[in-house]
Amino acid sequence: MRNIARIMKAEIIKQQQYDYHSYFVWFSLLIWPVLGFLEVYYTYKPFAFTGYLGIEDGGDLLAFLGTGYMAYTCFWSMVQNAWSMSLQERRDGTLEMAFLTPANRLAMNYGKALGALIQEVWMFGCFCLFVLFYTHTLNWKNLWALPLFLVLLLFSSMVWGGMLNAVFLYSRDASMIMDVFDAPMILFAGTRIPVQCFPLWAKVISLLFPLTYCLNIIRFILGIQSRAHNILPDLAGLFLCLAVMAGITVFLIWRVEKHNRETGELQFF
Amino acid sequence: MIKAEHLSKTYLIKEKKHIFGKKEERKVPAVRDISLEIPKGNITGILGINGAGKTTTIRMLSSLIAPASGTLTMDGVDAVKHHLWVKERINIISGGERNLYWRLTARENLRYFGSLYGIDRKELEKRIRELLKTVGLEEAADIPVERYSKGMKQRLQIARGLINEPEYLFLDEPTLGLDILIAKEIRELILTLAKERQKGILLTTHYISEAEELCDYIYVLDQGQIIARGTKAELKEIFKAKPRLVVQEMSLEEVLMKIIKQSRGETDEEHCADNEGGNYQTTAV
Repeated sequence: MRNIARIMKAEIIKQQQYDYHSYFVWFSLLIWPVLGFLEVYYTYKPFAFTGYLGIEDGGDLLAFLGTGYMAYTCFWSMVQNAWSMSLQERRDGTLEMAFLTPANRLAMNYGKALGALIQEVWMFGCFCLFVLFYTHTLNWKNLWALPLFLVLLLFSSMVWGGMLNAVFLYSRDASMIMDVFDAPMILFAGTRIPVQCFPLWAKVISLLFPLTYCLNIIRFILGIQSRAHNILPDLAGLFLCLAVMAGITVFLIWRVEKHNRETGELQFF
Repeated sequence: MIKAEHLSKTYLIKEKKHIFGKKEERKVPAVRDISLEIPKGNITGILGINGAGKTTTIRMLSSLIAPASGTLTMDGVDAVKHHLWVKERINIISGGERNLYWRLTARENLRYFGSLYGIDRKELEKRIRELLKTVGLEEAADIPVERYSKGMKQRLQIARGLINEPEYLFLDEPTLGLDILIAKEIRELILTLAKERQKGILLTTHYISEAEELCDYIYVLDQGQIIARGTKAELKEIFKAKPRLVVQEMSLEEVLMKIIKQSRGETDEEHCADNEGGNYQTTAV
C-alpha cells in the first residue's frame, strides 16, 4: 500500500514539475473556464425565472452552473490530460521507461489522473467554491458537505481519468475520444441544462456519463434543485459506473502490457 | 547469469497498399534462433550493422518484449513468465536523447524513476547524490535536462539506469553520437561497473573499437542470427589473424584527444612516451 502511495505521489509531483514553469499557465487555468461559465450565465440571465426545477433566481442559477462547471472541468481535464500524456510520454520515450520498471501499473495510471486533476482544476475549483459561498449554497450549516462533495468529485474524476489513460495507452490514435466526449458530455450530463428538461432519448444518453450521477448527487447534497429528488438511483448508478470503469481500466492495462510485450508498440510515437 | 536459448522474435507488420484497401499482414523475422549468456562481472558484446537485430535482442533480454519462441532465464528464474521480477533487477541505457523528462532537472528525473522502483525516500536521496557524483553531474543537478549537452544527457541516462542498482545492465549503443572524450569516460565507467561492481553487462554497438576495448565475449549478429561468437582472440582465430608488427601513424582521434587534454592542462601519462618519440607508435595487430 505504501508503495502504491509512493508511485502515485511521484506521478503527481512529476506532472507538476513538468507542466508548470510560467504564471501564464496558472492564469489560463482560471480565465478560460470562467469565461465559459459567464457565457452560459449571461445567456440564461435575461430570461424570467419561474422556479422550474428549483431555479428561482440568479443566485440559484449561479449555484446550478457553479457545480455543473466545476464537475465538468474535472471530468473534461481528464480527457485532455489522457490525450496529451499519451503523446508526450510516447514521444519522449518515458512511457516505455516507466513500463521497464516493476511499478504497479494501476497506481501509475491513477497517479497521472490525480496529478492532472489537482493541478488543472484547483484554480477554477476555488472560483466555483467562491460562487457557492457567495450564493449561500454553502454556509456554516452545510459546510460538513464540502469535504464529502470534493472527495466524491475527485474520486469519480480520477476513476474516469484512469480509464481514459488506459485507453490512450492502448492506442495512440484514440484522439477521437476528445470529440466523442466534449460536446455530448457538456450537453447531456446536466452541466448547464438540467437533465429533467430532456426528452427521453436524451435522458437515456445522459445515463452513460458518470458525470450525470456525480452532478445529481452533488446538487442533492448542496440542496440545489429539489430536495424531494430520490438520490438512491443516482448513488447506485455512480457506483455501478465507477466499478465498470475500474474493471475496464484493469483489463486495458493488462492488455496493454501483453500487447506491448508482443509488438513493442509503446516505443512508437 | 542470464541465459537465452533459441530465442526468436517475429513482428507482424500491417501494410496498406491502397488508400481504401484492406491492410495486409506480413511477418518480419527480427531475431532467429539466438542463444547467448550474460555472466555477472563480464561485458558481453553484440556487434552488428544497422538492422542486424541488436535492439530487438536487447529488448527481449530485458523483458520489455516477449520472445516468440525459445527460453530465457535469469539466475535460474523463467524471465518470460516472471518479467516483473526481472524488471526489479535489470535496467536499460540507450544511446540518444529520449527516455528522460526534458523539463525536469536531473535530480527530479532520478527521484521520479527511483520512486517507481519503490526505493525508500532517504535511501533514494542518498543514491541520487552518489550517482550524480559518479556521472559528474553534481553541479548541473538542478538544471532542466533541456539545457544539457548531448554528453550530459547520456550521463544522466547512465545515472537513471543505475538508480535501482541493477544486477544486469543492458547498454544499447551508449556512446552513439558522443564526442571522443565523453565516449571514453563512459567506456571507463562501463568497465568499472562490470569489473568492480560485478554487474552483468550486455553492450550492443557498431563501433568495433569499443567492443574490442570493453567486451570479454562477443556475439556477431547479422540478419537476426548469430554468425560468430567468441572472445576477441577466438574471433581473430577464425580468420587466422596472426599478430603483425606495424608502424602506425597516430590516428586523428588520438591527436585530437591530445590537443584537448593539453589545452585543459591535463597530463596524458599513457602517451608521454609517444610525444618524446614522435607521432608514430608501434602496434601489434
